[in-house]
Amino acid sequence: MTSFLSVAALFLFTSVLFALPLLPALWELQRKSDALPLNVIQQHAGEIRYFADSFRAYLEPLEPVLRDCARSGQNASGVMPDGTEYMVLGSGNDAVTLPLGGQDRLYPLLLASATDLTVPSDSTFSHDVYSRARFVGGANNQYRALLAEREVHLGTGSSLMRWVHAGSELNADPGCKLYGRVSSDSRIRLAHGCTFLRLNAPRIELGPSSPKISQPNSDPPPSLSSVSPSRLLHDGDFEIKPGEFFRGDLVVRGRLRIGSGARVFGSLKSTQEMLVESAARVDGSLICAAKLVIGPDCVIQGPVISEREIMLQARSQSGTADGPTTVCAPRISAACGVIVFGSLWARERGEVVASA
Amino acid sequence: MIYVLYVIVGLICVYTVRHYWFTLNRLFGFQRHPYIDIDTANWPPVSVLVAAHNEEKVIAHILEALLAAKYPADKMVIVPVNDRSADRTREIIDDFVQRFPGRIRPFHRTDGKPGKAAALKDAMEFVETEVILIFDADYIPGAGIIKQLTAPFFDPEVGGVMGRVVPMNVGANLLTRLLDLERAGGYQVDQQARMNLRLVPQHGGTVAGVRRSALREIGGWNENTLTEDTDLTYRLLLRGWKTVYQNRSECYEEVPETWPVRVRQIMRWAKGHNQAMAAFALSLLFGKNRATLRERIDGALLLGVYAMAPITLLGWILALAVFYKGIAQFNSIIALLSLTAYAAIGNLAAFFEIAAAVRLDGHRKRIAILPFLALGFTVSIFSVSHAAISQLFGLLTKAEFHWDKTERFRKATS
Repeated sequence: MTSFLSVAALFLFTSVLFALPLLPALWELQRKSDALPLNVIQQHAGEIRYFADSFRAYLEPLEPVLRDCARSGQNASGVMPDGTEYMVLGSGNDAVTLPLGGQDRLYPLLLASATDLTVPSDSTFSHDVYSRARFVGGANNQYRALLAEREVHLGTGSSLMRWVHAGSELNADPGCKLYGRVSSDSRIRLAHGCTFLRLNAPRIELGPSSPKISQPNSDPPPSLSSVSPSRLLHDGDFEIKPGEFFRGDLVVRGRLRIGSGARVFGSLKSTQEMLVESAARVDGSLICAAKLVIGPDCVIQGPVISEREIMLQARSQSGTADGPTTVCAPRISAACGVIVFGSLWARERGEVVASA
Repeated sequence: MIYVLYVIVGLICVYTVRHYWFTLNRLFGFQRHPYIDIDTANWPPVSVLVAAHNEEKVIAHILEALLAAKYPADKMVIVPVNDRSADRTREIIDDFVQRFPGRIRPFHRTDGKPGKAAALKDAMEFVETEVILIFDADYIPGAGIIKQLTAPFFDPEVGGVMGRVVPMNVGANLLTRLLDLERAGGYQVDQQARMNLRLVPQHGGTVAGVRRSALREIGGWNENTLTEDTDLTYRLLLRGWKTVYQNRSECYEEVPETWPVRVRQIMRWAKGHNQAMAAFALSLLFGKNRATLRERIDGALLLGVYAMAPITLLGWILALAVFYKGIAQFNSIIALLSLTAYAAIGNLAAFFEIAAAVRLDGHRKRIAILPFLALGFTVSIFSVSHAAISQLFGLLTKAEFHWDKTERFRKATS
């Protein structure tokens, strides 16, 4: 009897031990407290203007106030439906003299202007800023987010935390730190010393002056030294010689060097470093698993991707006005005179330097 | 007998290490998403193939979703591949064709060999674009997924692309919850780790894409296989084309809600995978091909995943036999320690992987379901073993394989 009880007790104990981890499982199965599908945002398409569009929608309740202030030239203040304090300026130039900032020049409310908005230097805007027309910021300002329906000008040494969108041109003076999304419906120009993460505009210019734009050349190569395959897969290092024409796609499992003035009618990939020497032209994309250097005066028409680092040297051009593209890498350094049509996206750090 | 057991234990240990390697890479390693940042480009024309066989319950949903995709409308054509449907699938498709002229070019297949691969093969006559995307009819693609799946084709080495499959009917019952966990582990950890480590991400045949010139180079769709996706992955790999995985290209699917449907599904996958193993394992490992050494090793291990089920079963039988026959090669203390160590670490590898995936997805409480996965694994191990054995018999008797379509559970649209 004792041995039977021992066996029964052991069986019971083992069963309890086995069932123990199933109790929370049964509880969860019954309650379904975490049984929804993974949240996939069906309408999300990664558009850079998403926050700007959402902010516009958020500001819709302010529309009558903006109209009244624009008409009367008076300021108005109040609270948004979500509890955020706002101030609407009838004349945007008032912001320069507003007493709001105090000695530390902190603006702890949503600032909206029905007209051009000019804000003083050394100020911090901890809420979003909106201008129905132009926005001009003083030096060393800090912004959370900024939307202007026309031009945006960020003063020297300013910082942007989340996003900025300009309906027209966006200019950033030297030393600006742009941590979030920066977009414009016409052109972005960053001066030297600016750092950035994600830029998007029909045209992005880096450096002090407008660089000369190279026109895409869709002419066929005048002569080909040999019949190139449609896709060449090469193990080891490879070089396209200076001035050479290369037709077709090329995948190099090694380093790739494209000589000065070479012309490629296709896309290129290398699993190690890639060097595109001066004045080379590539009609397709450049894909590199390591460091990618694009020399002066090069023109690349397709996407440019590196899994490590891209150096864009002076006057190089990516994309065209009719065929925008993306240049992306964890780290990007771009010299003055670089022009990109489309997106320039540095996951970790992008910077405008005197020479890359 | 003991040496066979050693080999089996060795194989199990290799897969255990692989599970841990993938999971730790996913948790702490460098994550590769090289193409996801391409948001602006001169987008190429694409054909989106929707494989449909008796899909009246779901076909309208995917067509609506694709029509709402954010991709230049003049560069995207939707090709519903209506494979011998006997229900209202054709009627629904034709209604969409009329309502959205120029956007949908249907391919109504009325006869021919059964199976998705055969249908896709026939549909290729209607495809003119270099980039081809493929969805099963029960999927609901999001607005941005067409661009995301197209972007990798700017890389001239990419022949195939695969997105992430996300179950949408998670809360239906225990089975769907277990499948949700398995899918999370398979995609969030396994596939992404393979992508990170430059191994062999697997083409899934849906939420996926293929380059037409690559497909032509490898001889097109193989209609003599049950899993055209696995077959495609390896034929591309052998010819130097990469398949890449895009973890952030997520798409909802419907998972089986009943065990018999699940069993048939996994048996089909197992048979197809084993077919691929027989066809490619040796040539991948030892043949002259364009795969790298790490791709050869990982590719071979991937080919063997379904074969491991009957091998593990055999291992259990042998272990019992060894025990009862009193065969002991090692000192009993070492044997005991080995057994304990494996029980503590080895058995948990798959659970660890799934738990990590759930954590990466940002879920919390569904992790409580994890112990029930033992049930799912048990059903799978016997189903897959049954599939392997019947496949062997099929080889001996030269029986023809047949295609089991996965039943849908969504309510029909009007």
